[in-house]
Amino acid sequence: MLAQVGFRDVEVREKFDTFRGTSKERIARKYAVTGINIFARKS
Amino acid sequence: MAVACPIDLDTRKLRDEIRSIYARVASDPAGEFHFHRGPDYAAEFLRYDRAALAQLPAESTASFAGVANPHRIARIEEGALVVDIGCGAGMDLLLAAKSAGPRGRAIGIDMTESMAEKARASARAAGLDNVEVRLGDAMSLPLEDSSADVVISNGVLNLTSDKSVAFGEVFRVLKPGGRFLYADIVVANELSESIRKDVDLWTG
Repeated sequence: MLAQVGFRDVEVREKFDTFRGTSKERIARKYAVTGINIFARKS
Repeated sequence: MAVACPIDLDTRKLRDEIRSIYARVASDPAGEFHFHRGPDYAAEFLRYDRAALAQLPAESTASFAGVANPHRIARIEEGALVVDIGCGAGMDLLLAAKSAGPRGRAIGIDMTESMAEKARASARAAGLDNVEVRLGDAMSLPLEDSSADVVISNGVLNLTSDKSVAFGEVFRVLKPGGRFLYADIVVANELSESIRKDVDLWTG
């Protein structure tokens, strides 16, 4: 979606287990929800 | 990557619910929520620099509710104009202001008045006079076209009902060559229709 808007060099840099230990951990695991760092540059 | 908004999602209800939850995070960060908050979470789960967080006013770090860490994506150069979309109580905003230095500027945008006021108070307490906080919405940023060197955002754009509009706004306000250091959540598995319509889950 970022590329569709016009960004380039879009890159996932890092992931995080953001919901570990919360009441939403089970549903986060079920749907593979993670925190994520993304780099993008305006062309 | 992002979840499309179902046509019949009540987006007004979604916005109201988001405002309500984050106003509560601002006033009572130690309360009951279904997401982590605070500097220990930031350091342990998201690999923030604990020493850097210790130098910030506690009121900015206690209400931190980000989901990843934009400061690990790339360095913010001195002199940069940085925009933080959904700055909350200001933790990421103040870190960005320190990186940008006195020749730079950090502008925080938040749609929750109590969070915006907390961020302003935190900037004053930290002695950072290169910080400005504006009340506004990710879907219609109160910023000029091509004005920012760097845009950061942490756990906010996933809350918007139309990601293409929100990303378009980031694109609009960045200068050509400007960088988007984007921290958020991603859903890898397909969501059911009922999950997509559940406002409680959108606000998580």
